[in-house]
Amino acid sequence: MSAPAPQPVPRPDSISLDSASLGPTLSGSNRGDRPASLNRRDWLCRAARGMAPLLFSGCGLGLPKKSQYIKVGLLHSQTGPLGQSESALRDAELFALEEINARGGLLGRLIEPVAPDTRSRSEDLYPKRARKLLVEDQVPVVFGGYSAASRRAMLPLFEDQSRLLVFPAQTEGNAASPNLICGGALPNQQVLPALDWLLGSQGGNPSRLVFLGSDGLYSRTTHHIATKYLATRQRKFAAEFFIPLQGTDWAPVLDAVAEQSAQTAVLSTLAGNSNGEFYQQLRERGLNRSGGPTVLGLRLGEDELRLLPPDAIRGQLAGATYFQSLATPDNQRFVSRFKQEFGYDRVTSDAMESAYSLVHLWALAVAKAGALNLDAVRQALRDVSFAGPGGEWRIDPATQHTTKTFHLGRAGGDRQFEIIHSSAGPIPPDVFPQFAFPGWKCDLTAGGVTRGEPVDLNVPGNTPAPSAAGAHTPAPPSPSAK
Amino acid sequence: MFYWVYDLPTWQFGLLTTVSFVLLYWVGVIFVRPFLRLFVRSTPGLNDVVGYILSCFCVFYGLLLGLIAVTAYQNSAQTEATVTREAAALSALYEDVGGYPQPHAQNLRWLLRDYTRHTIRYAWPLQRRGITPVEGGIRVAAFEEALHRFEPQTPGQQVLHAESLRMFNNFLEHRRMRLLAVTTGIPPVMWFVVAIGAFINLAMVWLFDMRFTAHLFLGGLLAAYLGAMIFLIAAMDNPFRGEVSIPPTAFESLFAKMVDE
Repeated sequence: MSAPAPQPVPRPDSISLDSASLGPTLSGSNRGDRPASLNRRDWLCRAARGMAPLLFSGCGLGLPKKSQYIKVGLLHSQTGPLGQSESALRDAELFALEEINARGGLLGRLIEPVAPDTRSRSEDLYPKRARKLLVEDQVPVVFGGYSAASRRAMLPLFEDQSRLLVFPAQTEGNAASPNLICGGALPNQQVLPALDWLLGSQGGNPSRLVFLGSDGLYSRTTHHIATKYLATRQRKFAAEFFIPLQGTDWAPVLDAVAEQSAQTAVLSTLAGNSNGEFYQQLRERGLNRSGGPTVLGLRLGEDELRLLPPDAIRGQLAGATYFQSLATPDNQRFVSRFKQEFGYDRVTSDAMESAYSLVHLWALAVAKAGALNLDAVRQALRDVSFAGPGGEWRIDPATQHTTKTFHLGRAGGDRQFEIIHSSAGPIPPDVFPQFAFPGWKCDLTAGGVTRGEPVDLNVPGNTPAPSAAGAHTPAPPSPSAK
Repeated sequence: MFYWVYDLPTWQFGLLTTVSFVLLYWVGVIFVRPFLRLFVRSTPGLNDVVGYILSCFCVFYGLLLGLIAVTAYQNSAQTEATVTREAAALSALYEDVGGYPQPHAQNLRWLLRDYTRHTIRYAWPLQRRGITPVEGGIRVAAFEEALHRFEPQTPGQQVLHAESLRMFNNFLEHRRMRLLAVTTGIPPVMWFVVAIGAFINLAMVWLFDMRFTAHLFLGGLLAAYLGAMIFLIAAMDNPFRGEVSIPPTAFESLFAKMVDE
């Protein structure tokens, strides 16, 4: 309702508030002979008009708007065997969100992170917490997951709700969805270059290769790809072990590693606390000394080293697409700011760099799209790039993975890795390496995933089995994928 | 219901309360005076009668307001003490776990630092909005998990570990009290009585028979002060809400020490 137009009031030369001038009006005895100057009603009206801005400006400025915050989900295990590794990702994501908020937020609103704990329970708690974030908190995006199992368990919810899941950790490939952005290295960007290096002159071309991984989808798929890759080079693994996440008898592993140890290389995809246990066991058996096996960890970052005595890890190798020791100005600034914010002894790692950069990349896409919905953000992601600590970040629209540069590091006594080898350039993502997944292709801009021959991932060293009973087929295509 | 006032800057909150009371009083004067004129104008001794009753009423109402103000202040002071004790226990725990063998010491200290940072950056803004923060509990659980993972190997470590556990329990107790204080405040029924009392107070002043300007001015002063009193109580109530609230200073100074070591 619009206010009535103010009537022009003849402005008196002066308003006297003495009792003589106000007397007749206040007494109320002679309403009929009001003077032409301000009467009581006008006076009150003016006073009210004068006070109104004070009152209502207060309300307008101070009242919280319903849409003051954009809630964003950060879904990681903060306790349990994976808590140590995943809480570092949470910190990197928080760091990026704080930077965005410090610049004024996104779309004129501040970002409010919601970070529940999934307690290292990939199968049940990840989807449960994700559902709460999507349904109750109505987050447009979740940065989360660490294990392949957690990603697989959550993804159908995101497809159902048309939201975006941004997965910062390494991926085994063999999956793609319009609702999924993967920022971690694929096997062709990490495992295969690591194998190339090991089998080359620099790696000593060991005669025995032992595969060691945490029992889960990532390790089994990665092992499948590595086995197929080795077959193309007429090589194979001498032994393989899949270790449960909590508690194991390391004796068989150590026995296998100790055999011809000088000629043995261990390719490890152990995750979380298992890394610490394994390196401790190696030290206790005296296998970490010169003449011992070469151990190349693929899920071993600076943050995993914090529970390890330096002498247990010194000299061991790790393959990654980022190390804290990367000598670029962007990285040095990032590390310095992170330490300033979280503490002098905090470290940054491959997955943390990925988590940090993905948050910024998503924010750039949202800013470009001017919206939070999935389609707009996916479209905008094709056109944005982010200069991350480890290099430029850009999403490949066909796979929604990223191009990465491989680095090989050797652990020093300072719990840092010295980079001893890097790939010639950035390696594009290959979600379905053809030697491991014949016929499988992925192009999310044109039809999604094209199915090929069924592949059995449960039998290590398998050959493509077109109609093997009980074959585990790769990732179920998303609703839009064919 | 009126929690939105805590989102206003203090001066706006104070001004809004005071002006609202004055306006209520003025509106009352304007609407009540005609009726008063009809029924009781020129009743001899009216002002004396109203004055006596108002005096009696003000004694009871003043006592109520005074007691509530004291309660609100004590509540705020107790909560502030709880916050300080929690920060002190955290500091002591940080020192204790520093004596553990590496890498446990560093890991435990990282986790405590993480908790402190989270409390300052995320828990406090939520508390200011009247929301009990829950994610700090996750950090506490992570620390507890790491603390229980440590197995003392020497008598010295056993003593240190026992002391750390004792301090951890102490810290937990204060943390729990802080979280409970987030939603603490003067009960709604008490605010209802305060509001009724304020209204009766103003209504009695409406009954005075005097010149209009004097009525507006003198009663307006009373209404303004009444508004200011109620603003003071409201500002001190809900110790974590609004600008007049307990700051995370104790945690901030601790965190500054933690990151600068």
